[in-house]
Amino acid sequence: MSFEADIVVWLPVMKRYARALTGDPAWADDLVQDTAERALSRWHALRPQSNLRAWLLTILRHLYIDQLRMHREIAVDDENAPWSRMPAPPGEVDSLVLRDVQRALYRLPVEQREVLLLVGLEEFSYQEAATVLKVPVGTVMSRLSRAREHMRALLAEDPCRKGTALKVVRTVKSTP
Amino acid sequence: MNDDHDYAKPGPGEPDLRALSALVDNELSAAERAATLERLAVDADAAQRVADYRAQNAALKALFAMPQETARCLVLHRRVPWWQRAGVAAAWLSVGIVLGLTLGLAPNWMAPRLSADQVAFAQRANIAYAVYAPEQRHPVEVAANEKVQLVNWLSRRLDRSLVVPSLQEYGYALVGGRLLPGDAGPAAQFMYQNAVGERLTLYVTRFSPDTTAVHLLSDGGRNTFYWANQGMGYALSGQVPETHLRPIALDVCGALGGHPESWR
Repeated sequence: MSFEADIVVWLPVMKRYARALTGDPAWADDLVQDTAERALSRWHALRPQSNLRAWLLTILRHLYIDQLRMHREIAVDDENAPWSRMPAPPGEVDSLVLRDVQRALYRLPVEQREVLLLVGLEEFSYQEAATVLKVPVGTVMSRLSRAREHMRALLAEDPCRKGTALKVVRTVKSTP
Repeated sequence: MNDDHDYAKPGPGEPDLRALSALVDNELSAAERAATLERLAVDADAAQRVADYRAQNAALKALFAMPQETARCLVLHRRVPWWQRAGVAAAWLSVGIVLGLTLGLAPNWMAPRLSADQVAFAQRANIAYAVYAPEQRHPVEVAANEKVQLVNWLSRRLDRSLVVPSLQEYGYALVGGRLLPGDAGPAAQFMYQNAVGERLTLYVTRFSPDTTAVHLLSDGGRNTFYWANQGMGYALSGQVPETHLRPIALDVCGALGGHPESWR
């Protein structure tokens, strides 16, 4: 199978991770496009022997960090923040609770957000996440631990909430 | 006041918290896992944390479902998902080739001397068109206003003196070119565009066996004529009808020292 076809297999994963990382579907599409382009243009020199998925997400993350310096970090109180326009998916989990989780996610520092998404969403092993993030496994573990505690704190701090996180529904402003 | 106090008071140390995370992530050894589970049985706070971590994971997965609409987007969007089109192109091309070869149903253009090399080279050209032709921001690496540098650069990288044929007669002006990876070393892609923004690409790569016959790859409205001459393979691609592209390909073949008369 050609390298292009190998990359195509991972496009949905790249798209999902990019959406989660940026909270902005348009930015995510651009990131995936840039990532695939870079992967196609550099595969001769840099193609990994194994774990194409980790290699692709490494490129994607690198581009994201680069672009983040040019974009301003998403302002979470801004009603126009791109993530606030992302449709909350239907499902068993209450969509308003999901909206809270989403809001909390983008209040995490990017170092915590990316590790939480790699492990919690993409189910990367700690070793794989360490490869993508180019940090030791120990750093992955401590960042991840802090990210999860930070999420708990953010989800619990809403004064409208009572009881444990992920149980209480609060109203959110409807988005245009 | 609220749960914040729970997080501010001195709770479990970081190593303990890491173990709870590692339990959720299946990163513990059997012994560590057993020990941590024992602890959860007697430590309600730790058990709550593990439940919260799992709930976070579940929420993230619910928030960010795997995009399933790859094929449908292909139809809905025009510009952005070039990679989806490239993907589908590659997939269908492979399916088509495999089916064709398996069933012995190779259409005429695949006969008479079809080799895997030829398919790979034409396939790359075809995909390269699908990838870069819709691109608005960076269709080329070096633009046509630096044509001399462009040709020198790509000639150096391909180790052959390249010629960029003019397609002005057909209303297509050179946009520029880029360097791409190929199966047999680097490849050059030159892009042309007409007044209404339709694009053609000429893909050039080293390719040893000469094939005087022209071949055509058709896929989803995209056509690629390809041939080889004097150690180089050429492919002209466009999202235009075969009848429109064919005379242009004939001219390009002739302009590049080929033998278009043998096509007929």
